[in-house]
Amino acid sequence: MANQTPPAVILAAGEGRRLEPLTNRRPKPMLPVTNRPLLEYVVEAVENAGLDRIIFVVGYYEERIRNHFGDGDSWDVDIEYVTQEKQLGTAHALLQAAPLINEPFVLLNGDRIVESKLVSDVQETLETTGGPVVSVTPAENPRHYGVVELDGSATRIQSITEKPTGPIQSNLINAGVYGFDQSIFDEITQTTADSGELAITTTLTNLLVDQDVHVVQYRGQWLDVSHLWDLLTVNAALAGQRSGERSPESDKVSIAADTAIGSDVKIGPHASIGGGTAIGANATVEANAVIINSIIFPDTVIEAGAVVRDAVISENTRVGANVTIAGGDTQMVVDGTVYKDIALGGVVGDNATLGGAVTIAPGTVVGDGASIEDGAIISGHIESDAIVRRG
Amino acid sequence: MCGIVGYLGEDPAGPIVYKGLQNLEYRGYDSAGVALVGEELTVQKRSGEVGALSVPEIPSAVCGIGHTRWSTHGPPTDENAHPHTGMTGEVAVVHNGIIENYESLRESLSDRTFTSQTDTEVIPHLLEIELEDGHDLYTALNRVVSQLEGSFAICAVHAGRNEIVATRNQSPLVLGHAKDGVFLGSDVTAFLEHTRDVTYLEDGDIAVLRPGDVHVYRDGTEIAYPIETVEWEADAAEKGGYEHFMRKEIHEQPASLRQTLSGRIDLDRGAVELDLEFPKGYLSSVEEIQFVACGTSYYASLYAARLFEEIADIRATVSIASEYTFDGGRDPWRTLTIAVTQSGETADTLGAIRRAKRAGAQTLAVTNMLGSSVSREVKNSVFIRAGPEIGVAATKTFASQVTTLALLAVYLGRERGVLSPSDARSILEDLRGLPGGVQQVLDNEASVKEAAVAYQDSDAFFFVGRRHGYPVALEGALKLKEISYDHAEGFAAGELKHGPLALVTDNTPVLAVLTDGGNIPNTVNNLVEAQTRGAPAIGAISESHEIDSLDVGFEVPDAGLFEPLIANVYFQLFAYHVANEKGRPIDKPRNLAKSVTVG
Repeated sequence: MANQTPPAVILAAGEGRRLEPLTNRRPKPMLPVTNRPLLEYVVEAVENAGLDRIIFVVGYYEERIRNHFGDGDSWDVDIEYVTQEKQLGTAHALLQAAPLINEPFVLLNGDRIVESKLVSDVQETLETTGGPVVSVTPAENPRHYGVVELDGSATRIQSITEKPTGPIQSNLINAGVYGFDQSIFDEITQTTADSGELAITTTLTNLLVDQDVHVVQYRGQWLDVSHLWDLLTVNAALAGQRSGERSPESDKVSIAADTAIGSDVKIGPHASIGGGTAIGANATVEANAVIINSIIFPDTVIEAGAVVRDAVISENTRVGANVTIAGGDTQMVVDGTVYKDIALGGVVGDNATLGGAVTIAPGTVVGDGASIEDGAIISGHIESDAIVRRG
Repeated sequence: MCGIVGYLGEDPAGPIVYKGLQNLEYRGYDSAGVALVGEELTVQKRSGEVGALSVPEIPSAVCGIGHTRWSTHGPPTDENAHPHTGMTGEVAVVHNGIIENYESLRESLSDRTFTSQTDTEVIPHLLEIELEDGHDLYTALNRVVSQLEGSFAICAVHAGRNEIVATRNQSPLVLGHAKDGVFLGSDVTAFLEHTRDVTYLEDGDIAVLRPGDVHVYRDGTEIAYPIETVEWEADAAEKGGYEHFMRKEIHEQPASLRQTLSGRIDLDRGAVELDLEFPKGYLSSVEEIQFVACGTSYYASLYAARLFEEIADIRATVSIASEYTFDGGRDPWRTLTIAVTQSGETADTLGAIRRAKRAGAQTLAVTNMLGSSVSREVKNSVFIRAGPEIGVAATKTFASQVTTLALLAVYLGRERGVLSPSDARSILEDLRGLPGGVQQVLDNEASVKEAAVAYQDSDAFFFVGRRHGYPVALEGALKLKEISYDHAEGFAAGELKHGPLALVTDNTPVLAVLTDGGNIPNTVNNLVEAQTRGAPAIGAISESHEIDSLDVGFEVPDAGLFEPLIANVYFQLFAYHVANEKGRPIDKPRNLAKSVTVG
């Protein structure tokens, strides 16, 4: 066939430890925003760019991905799977796909939402230059990512520095969409692992020594979920792009326009679903419950009168009657870094139970399988499977 | 038990028919073959799986039929594989079912040479004789069918003309209407990736496929055939990157259970919405529910019978379909006979439901297959909506069968006025909790695999349970024996000491359902009896209990009456991993086929 489009390799094997407890039972790319996994947005961007062959590199809880995407027919793409048995870095993940590839290809991360234009721009540059191609996008806080400096002509990469601590000259970061030909696999095998991980960026830094690395500049939507609270921001942003697809079943229920409500969700009388909210399939929201700017995963039950604000409630969890997750700004500490003014009412893991009238302070993270008994007031971090009694 | 495929269209038929056969392999896989139409017929067939068949490349052949076989008459040999031809090679036929009078027909054809031991081969010979008399293929088939007794779905082709004629009697046959051609299949899985627009043929219908048009004749007159749309996605019938359909289907259970429940529960009214039409007042007057089923469906029925007695306060009995007769002491009008069959084509179950009808009982079918034979045999059907199940070992359909039957029990309880809205609501909430509960078990797969690896080399496996846990023990043992070929048996826990304990050694693990409502302390005592003889004890335990004496314990989330159904998912995973460690052909265990359409 003439003019065949390159295959797209999507890395979806990672665990996403920073998003615990939500990633205790699913890989990060399967976290839902507006009831669809992050990975589905990536697949759509690839498909809309006209690429129809996708190779998923999967590993951690890969069944979740295989279950959801199958052979890709529902997205009009062909999906093949390769398994990365141990998560040893992005370059190692890519290497697993090598046996399925004998042409130039596009590489994407399974947990970054980008527009199809970025994919087609990378594809075009790959075709004209032969690669390698790296895409960059401006960021407000470039230090959290791989900071990229361009050469004078702004068409090639000068340097890439992962999470730099020193002074930086650029606000451009690695957007995570690449174009490579097969020579990248040789480069990877010659790359030395850095603290046990083989990273694509290390390979790229080696390439820069004696090769031109071409650049695609991108200014469109680029959504990354680094921290738990990012999930709410991304969800609200994407829910806002939908025009109220679903009207309430009865006039006794109030549902804002920028919400996503899954199939077979039961919503009791006088419940109120505020903006920026997603409610997953087969979830139950009982009478008078109020849910604002929150993500409710499938099969979860929000009992009568509960107030859930700025919160993520994972799968198959029970939020008891009159539970209060009041929401509001808080300060979060992750790996020693302090994040201020974070709007996070709380996060509750899978299969947990919050008893009646439990109160959850802003920023609380409840582990999966935890059981919080009636009337308890909790804050901070509650371990998985913990049982918390009223003090 | 076989699968048949036909295609006539614009594209080369060889690869299309071959793919259709692969899709139907669950119906049988001991031999396969195709016939492609050109100036001469090209027939290629052999014993073995579809994968062993090499289909000749004839790009100009746009018409073809194919067959995948599960032997009933004659062993799986190259000669006995379909398609069958007569003496001239002008006609090729594929057939699913049994021609009961083939011996007398064969005697009447004593001047002709037969090359196989099949009942099918009489058909091409009879067709050839009709064609020699100057009839066209449609008329020939019409005349031949009148001589046949038994169950059959038949597709026939003729050298030199792009035409397929097909008919059915008590064996399934579906037409698929795609943009670039027309398909025939034993079920829609054969061609689901090409089209979802289908016509289910009725017994006695004859379909004639020619380039560009399709005609269906009933009693000699052409009829306007209805086209229905199948709701399944083609990729649901493909493996989606899993190494086995069985594991894929085990993991699909949260999604398929949501589908089973979808739109059927009204929590506000504490009611179940099912589209059933019975005479007014009938359900209140019923005195007995009879279940007829085979295999896994039989165990689902055992589970359901208890649910019906508890929830709908009605006497419920369960019969293995092949053993069923409408016995004395019951009023047919006050008896509702429910056929439970995944495929809707199970011959034993069809036979039983016909016996019930003859006796005058009202009938109902609980099945996964729209348009299946059983749903046409009865007035009312409830579909379990589990989606296509390809693995021979039933997994997600068991879960969806029990769930659907539980909905039916609540429906009946409310109709009969014996179940309060609030009691119904609490059962329905437990049902809505099933997808999440099952997911919780699936997330625990690594620990089940560990146990499977540790105990895979045991001499035998015994499964025990009480009340609703008892049918699950039977189902757990069936799953394990089906796919691992290990000796496995299920018992009512209390029965262990009345005999089976003699089989227990330190190399026979006992797997127990230890869920609320199943008298956990007594079952634990039974386990201790086995452990005293050195047997390892593995239990699926309600999360509200802790039992320290077990060798391996799996936690079952709260789900009221349905905890054993969730416990069963542990047993499915256990069976899968034991069989996988042993390298068994999990999706196609030896000697078994998916839907058994012979009695």
